[in-house]
Amino acid sequence: MRETDRRIRVRRVGLIPDDARVRHFDELDEDAQAAVSELAGRPRTGRETGDLDDGDVVKFTDYYQIRTR
Amino acid sequence: MSDSYVIVGDGIAGASAAETLREEAPDAEITVLTDEGESLYNRILIKEYAKGKLPEAPISIHQESWYDDHDVDLRLNTVVVDIDVENDAVHTHEGETFEYDSLLLAVGGTPQQLPVENADADGIHHFWTFQDARNIKESVEDAERAVIVGAGLLGIDFAAICGAQDVEAKYLMRGDAWWRYALSTEGAEIMHDAMRERGVEPVFDSGVDHFEVDSEGHVEAAVDPNGERYECDFAGVAIGLNFNTELVEPTPIETENGIVVDEYMRTNVDNVFAAGDITTFNDLVLGEQGKNGSWGSAKEQGTVAARNMIEYGSDAFEWVSSYSITHFDFPFLSFGHPTIGDESVEAMTDEGEWRRVALKDGKVVGGVLIGDLSPQSAFKQLMREGRDVSGQTDLLMEPGFAVDDLAATTEQ
Repeated sequence: MRETDRRIRVRRVGLIPDDARVRHFDELDEDAQAAVSELAGRPRTGRETGDLDDGDVVKFTDYYQIRTR
Repeated sequence: MSDSYVIVGDGIAGASAAETLREEAPDAEITVLTDEGESLYNRILIKEYAKGKLPEAPISIHQESWYDDHDVDLRLNTVVVDIDVENDAVHTHEGETFEYDSLLLAVGGTPQQLPVENADADGIHHFWTFQDARNIKESVEDAERAVIVGAGLLGIDFAAICGAQDVEAKYLMRGDAWWRYALSTEGAEIMHDAMRERGVEPVFDSGVDHFEVDSEGHVEAAVDPNGERYECDFAGVAIGLNFNTELVEPTPIETENGIVVDEYMRTNVDNVFAAGDITTFNDLVLGEQGKNGSWGSAKEQGTVAARNMIEYGSDAFEWVSSYSITHFDFPFLSFGHPTIGDESVEAMTDEGEWRRVALKDGKVVGGVLIGDLSPQSAFKQLMREGRDVSGQTDLLMEPGFAVDDLAATTEQ
C-alpha cells in the first residue's frame, strides 16, 4: 500500500464523463473498499490508499468520485 | 526460441494472465483467442449500462491497441473447436492451428436456459456478455411489464435494471425468499423491500411452468406452476451457468462441474492450465474443492495461472472472494462461501444493518453483510487464518467487531 500524507474524499457525482476511469466496488482491494464504504457521501476525509487515484469514479451505492489533496 | 502461450478466453481471467505473462516473460509469444467480437470489457459494469446509468466507453478495459502495444496476438470472433493435448495445439472453426508450450483455458460459462416451453422466445433475455447488455437495454426500454426468474446474485441485476428503467416487474421465486440459501427471512426481507421500492414485486413459491408467446413469437406472459399468469413484454432469466467444458470433454483433461485444477491452476495435463469461472480448484482456504465466479477471484486466478505457466509451483491461489450488490442505497456484500457450513449466526446490528456468518467445524467459511460492511476485513482474516471461533460466535455479531476482540477473549 502506498503510504502518503495525502487525504481522499469520496464525493457523489451525477454525470459520468466518457473518459472517466469507472470501477465497480468489487474491483477495489480491501483497503480501498473500506475507504469507500466509510467515506462515501460523508463530509469526511480519509488516508489515501494505493488502489484509488484522483478522479477515479467508483460504482458503490451510487457513483462516487475520488478526490485527493 | 521463446516460449509460446495460448490463452482461450479474453475475460478478466484470460486478460490478467496475458498481462502477467507479458510482464514476467517479456520475450514470450502470447496469443489470445476469443469467440466474442470485442476485447476485454468490464463484465461487472455492464449491468450499469443496461440500467442506463453508464455509457459504453468506460466499460471497455483493453482497447485493441493494447494488444498491439503489448505484442499480444488477439484473435476476436475465433471459436476453438478442438484441443489436441498430444500435439500441444488448438484448432479453430476457420481451420487455423495454434501450437503452444502452455495453454490456458479461461472459457467461462454460458447462462442456463429454463427447461420450459417457449424459453427461447423473443423478449426473453439472459445476461452474460456486453452484447447481452445492449440487447437487454434496448428491449427493456420498450417494455412496460417484466418477469424476472432466478432468485440469486445474477437475477437481482435484472430487478435493478427493471427498476432503473421504470418497468413494473414481477420477480418469480421458487422459495419464500431471495437467495434463500445464504440469507434468512429477516435478511432477505431487507432486499425484498428494496425491490418493492423500485417497482419490482417479489412473488414467492412461484417460478415458471411455461411462457406464452404472441403470434410473432414474442413473450407475452409467464405462467407459474400454480397456474398464475403474469403478463410481460420482457423476461429476464438468471438461473445459473453451464460451464463451457464441451471443448475438453474429448480430451484427458479432468472435469467436475468445470475444469479441475490444483492450487496452481494446473489441470491433470501438465502444460494445460485453467482460470476463472470454469475452474473447480483446490481451495486452500476452505480445504476442499471450490468454485468461484467473482471478478476478483477470476483476475487473481489468471495472474496465478500465468506465473505457474512460466514456472510451475511458483504461486498458489489462496483467496477469500467477495461479491457486492450496489443497486440500492445501502450496500450488500457476500464473502467466502455463505451457502455452505454446518451452523450460522446472524443479527440485525442496527436499523437496516444485518449480518450473517456461516461456520463449518467452528471456522468462518463465509457470510453476508447488509448495510454495514466494516467487519469484512476481520471476517476475511479469520477465514485466511482458519481461526476456530467456537464458543465465541456471539462476538462476531457485535457492532465494530475486530479480530483482536477474539484474541482478547481467547487469552482470558
